[in-house]
Amino acid sequence: MATAVHLDGITKRFPGVVANDDVDLEVEHGTVHALLGENGAGKTTLMNVLYGLYEPTSGTVRLDGEPRTFDSPRDAIDAGVGMIHQHFMLVDPMTVTENVTLGSEPRKWGGLAVDRAAAREAVVELADRYGFDVDPDARIEDVSVGEQQRVEILKALYRGADTLILDEPTAVLTPQEVEELFAVLAELTAQGKTIIFITHKLGEAMRAADEVSVLRDGKKVGTVDADGTTREELAELMVGREVLLDVEREPAQTGEVVAAASDVVVEDDRGVRAVDGISFEVRAGEVFGIAGVDGNGQTELVEALTGLGVPDEGEIRFRDEDVTTASRRERIEAGMAYIPEDRQERGLVMEFGLVENGLLGSQHGPELGPNGRIDWPATRDHAEAIIDEYDVRPADADADAESLSGGNQQKFIVGREFKRDPEFVVASHPTRGVDVGSIEFIHERLLELRRQGVAVLLVSSKLEEVQGLSDRMGVVYEGEFIDVVDPEETTEEELGLLMAGERPGGGGDETGATDETDPEATPSDVTGGERA
Amino acid sequence: MSAADRLRDALDRLVEASATERILISTAALVLSVLLGAVLVLVAGRMTTCTAGEAVYYLGVGFCYDPVVVFDRLFLGALGDPLSGGWSPDGQFSVTLRETTLLLFTGLSVALAFRAGIFNIGTQGQMVVGALATAIGVLWASSFVSGTVGTVVLIPFGVLVGATFGGLYGAVPGMLKAYADANEVITTIMLNFIATGVALYLVSGVFKDPNSAANQTVPLPEFARFPAVLFGGRQDFSLVALAFGLLAIGALYYVLEHTAFGYDVRTSGVQPEAAEYGGVDAERTVVASLALSGALGGVAGAMYVMMVLGTFQTGIPSYGFDGITVSILAGNNPLGVGVAALLFGVLKSGTTVVQFATDVPPQLVGVLRGLVILFVAMPEFFRMLAKGLPGRGSRREAVATDGGAVTGGGVADDEGGEADE
Amino acid sequence: MSDASADGVGDADGATAAEGRGFFERHTTRAVFAAVTVASVAALLVAGFLFPDSLAGTLAAVLTSENTLAAALRLSVPIAFAALGGIFAEKSGVINIGLEGLLIVSAFGAIYVADVTGGVWIGFAGGVLASTLLAALFAVVTIQFRADQIIAGLAVWLIALGLAPFASQVIYGSPNTPTVATSPSVSVPVLEEIPFFGALFSASPSVYLLFAAVALSWYVFERTAFGRWIRASGENPEALDTAGVSVARVRYAAVIISGVLAGMGGAALSLDLGQFTGNGPTMVNGKGFIAIVAYLFGNYNPIGAFLSTLLFAGLDAVQTVLQLQGIGVPRQLIRITPFVVVIVVLALVGRTRLPEAAGEHYDTEE
Repeated sequence: MATAVHLDGITKRFPGVVANDDVDLEVEHGTVHALLGENGAGKTTLMNVLYGLYEPTSGTVRLDGEPRTFDSPRDAIDAGVGMIHQHFMLVDPMTVTENVTLGSEPRKWGGLAVDRAAAREAVVELADRYGFDVDPDARIEDVSVGEQQRVEILKALYRGADTLILDEPTAVLTPQEVEELFAVLAELTAQGKTIIFITHKLGEAMRAADEVSVLRDGKKVGTVDADGTTREELAELMVGREVLLDVEREPAQTGEVVAAASDVVVEDDRGVRAVDGISFEVRAGEVFGIAGVDGNGQTELVEALTGLGVPDEGEIRFRDEDVTTASRRERIEAGMAYIPEDRQERGLVMEFGLVENGLLGSQHGPELGPNGRIDWPATRDHAEAIIDEYDVRPADADADAESLSGGNQQKFIVGREFKRDPEFVVASHPTRGVDVGSIEFIHERLLELRRQGVAVLLVSSKLEEVQGLSDRMGVVYEGEFIDVVDPEETTEEELGLLMAGERPGGGGDETGATDETDPEATPSDVTGGERA
Repeated sequence: MSAADRLRDALDRLVEASATERILISTAALVLSVLLGAVLVLVAGRMTTCTAGEAVYYLGVGFCYDPVVVFDRLFLGALGDPLSGGWSPDGQFSVTLRETTLLLFTGLSVALAFRAGIFNIGTQGQMVVGALATAIGVLWASSFVSGTVGTVVLIPFGVLVGATFGGLYGAVPGMLKAYADANEVITTIMLNFIATGVALYLVSGVFKDPNSAANQTVPLPEFARFPAVLFGGRQDFSLVALAFGLLAIGALYYVLEHTAFGYDVRTSGVQPEAAEYGGVDAERTVVASLALSGALGGVAGAMYVMMVLGTFQTGIPSYGFDGITVSILAGNNPLGVGVAALLFGVLKSGTTVVQFATDVPPQLVGVLRGLVILFVAMPEFFRMLAKGLPGRGSRREAVATDGGAVTGGGVADDEGGEADE
Repeated sequence: MSDASADGVGDADGATAAEGRGFFERHTTRAVFAAVTVASVAALLVAGFLFPDSLAGTLAAVLTSENTLAAALRLSVPIAFAALGGIFAEKSGVINIGLEGLLIVSAFGAIYVADVTGGVWIGFAGGVLASTLLAALFAVVTIQFRADQIIAGLAVWLIALGLAPFASQVIYGSPNTPTVATSPSVSVPVLEEIPFFGALFSASPSVYLLFAAVALSWYVFERTAFGRWIRASGENPEALDTAGVSVARVRYAAVIISGVLAGMGGAALSLDLGQFTGNGPTMVNGKGFIAIVAYLFGNYNPIGAFLSTLLFAGLDAVQTVLQLQGIGVPRQLIRITPFVVVIVVLALVGRTRLPEAAGEHYDTEE
């Protein structure tokens, strides 16, 4: 087999950062090559170099042995390289056909009209050739994420791509859609296409790829044959040390119920039940974890709990009071702290300095905003205390939030929320996109709160995080708790099945998988755990 | 990213953060507008006809209008010719201060809404409503009091009436935006037309002054008008009103910077999602900011009635629209509004001087106003001019990388979940 | 021309039907409002015919009068042209709030050029040119120099608001120009005899031009690649960019087209009367802003925008007729009805879905 893509000594520097350090990569024609690594390992940067989005600081890109320089993605597309980004480049109100042919529409009447029949025909033909299930006339906004992804792939194929780069293609997919994607990838390679697929999930890399290259800290640490490797080997390559997260955790000293949700239903904009009847209780001194693949209703549930959204049905109680319709401010004042999922959108006002950001949520409180007047000296002291205690760097209270790194932004938010002396903390993906040092720091602080008798709700798609920190955990799938389990008594495999919608006791979901789960995994000490 | 790119980025970040840049840009916009205005005057001077004696010659070409004279009259004339001796506070200078006073209020009105992220084009309408309400309210109340006591009671009363009705009228688009999601740019423009129409109806009907041919209300008694202090009353300017205006600047600055409400407003203005997260009631903040903004517009109307006209007459000058210019020029900063209002006060007052001294049409000032806004709206243009760096005039958005050996970096946020293994 | 327009409507309905469920989910309030409007007009007409002497009878007579339709069409011309222009700009992602200004400069430019050259159609072209130049300036400012679109649009309005009367004053010594000759209306034999709808076939040339522009705009959006690029540029410029089409060029083209169309509206407005009046808000008097509402209510569809323009202009025409007939509502209040209707409509329809990237600057990735 010939080499389709050859990256030779690619180095890419950003100011103060080496994103790729002398990376070599060879991908054979007609194969799937997984690019594996943790967040921040430099995978996407490397592929952006190949796709012409970045110019490498040094190194060469060769396609079929020919050295190439791409000034823009257009050059890359012309050379037969297509990239499917995590954020799809699709025009929502336009149809599948219109999106696939955008910019290269077949014309008629001397170019005065789009030949719509020919365009549709071309799309149908392409879809048939690769066995894609897409409706050429559906609008993008009306089709599933999986179908949108297939449209993106069709777009690249329509433009004559021989090499396809997929950036974290499974992050937004349901398990069934992941299966469909892998089938698509197999069909594409069978017909001679070359695929590079970026992931941080080693199971997927092993399953879908022929070869796996592992990146760590911007360097390539190895390329292995997918069939000849083990999970352990890949994990070690990825992490480069013993896996951490064996958090020291004494048994929970649980008190009374602090927060409770019962039969909460939240509908999204389209009237689909994003949260479909979830119930749970969180007690003082315990961490209740919610695990699940992103997009299974976690965001909507958290918003309903914290007052950013209103549930369509059900009840939310906090300290024995019905707060279902209480405002966000009322909940803050009642002692609910919240580490939001999106720190740059919600958690911080990016163009404000840290002093003003430390005030966010406390501006009407008695300490910093007594009688509607802001006590600026006290607010500054408050921000400086957060910076000091939570090791925020640079230690400059006047720095704008946007000038901080992600980890330091997150530490500042965590500090601000924890310093409210909350009774209940909702932590939504508290360590997403955060460096390792900050992750450990945030985890320790969460457990410290638990020791102090605070009730913690932890939502994360990092399984090891939820499992390592929680006393009980609910596994969410399509807006429902598939099960509520004791994390110490449940294996990763069992959790994996639950996250894929496989109900314990064999009550199989649409996936139709047959594996029976261990009956012991059914909830034993669940308080208020909801089973559908 | 090349070294030039990085340099440009660094410079951008530097200048974006600095307040001096705002001042520089505003000044540059003004200078550029004046220069373009001069060109316009020259061109217009070629298009009209005049005798050879009246013409002025530049580079051997004759022009009917002389931009130097125009801008000399516009600026120095507006200040009452301080350089030529014989300056009196009762002259053109007090006209300038009168205009400044009114523009202070409309400018603050627009600025407050802007800070909340709302584009209030309706200050004009809110001013009309405030003015009409003040004229009617004070006229009614003036039958109960008189003399100095009357002045002391009626002036605050009139301002209050103007603020209340302007505020209520401002709350309308606020509620439409907050609860019906109606775009405030459009609703406020429509409400301007409605305010003018209804005012015309009322003033030509029920509230019409029977002794006047014009569509106006019965004039207020002298004691119900702002007293002229230091400045003679001839130019309808009152230092008291200006003091009110300066007080309003201080008050608005305090509200924005030192109160929880101001914090809510500013946070909503720059990042509404974060404001919501921080417990800000988005709907209430929208309504409250627009009501307050309308109240300031209403006060401008009250000032106009009680200081300038002494009655409500249809065809209120476009102080509300000028307020938009003032606010934009001031970077929506209350303190900056003070300076910008003085500047536009000079322009407006100078217009009449220009009209007396030259044949140049007064609409020139309207063009200048538009040009200033246009230039202030494009800071990028000045950045390019200032740096003289060739190439595209745009800074690339922070690129989403997935980092490498980064110390965090707000970079991996977009990465999906990591549920496997 | 009118045939083309009628075809357009038919096709649009077809497309709507094909979209089926999606359309109603997205546009319920709008649909309800349209239905209520049609139903109430129908009820009024029925009541009018049953009781010809009542107020309803008078109203029905006014509504069904050929003169009303003729007046509505005439009043529609500047608004509808500006609305079409606004659609082009905004669909491409550039909110052009300066339509009012474009109407003003073209209204003056048309009279000036017509006065100098003596040709009505040359004047028309002059008006279009003036508006196009101003739109090109706006395009440079917003696309190249990344100016805030709303503020720059406002500046365009204010500049025009000052410049046109200024020029008139310089040239004619008054903000109002002298009158120039107007072009006579064009009638289609036989068809003009049709009751009521005959007004469609005996109108000023600009009305026919409008029909053509509506049909052509519809065609561009629905059938040409360029139309798709405009949509993509406003909805997801990145998608267009990565598909190899320059977003900046599409936006330049769209904004300049908006200048051309608005210019046709402004030129038609002043040439129809043979004079430009520049006092106060000038003769344009908010038509550019009503155009914005018209296309928002028409959901960025050229035909929808035309129909909602006709609705607003119809209201205006009816109020004029009512005034002449001395119906007991004060003139000043009738005059503000269109503005009130706009607000009520906005409050009911609520959020109009702007193109996703409208108002945002787009930088090409390297």
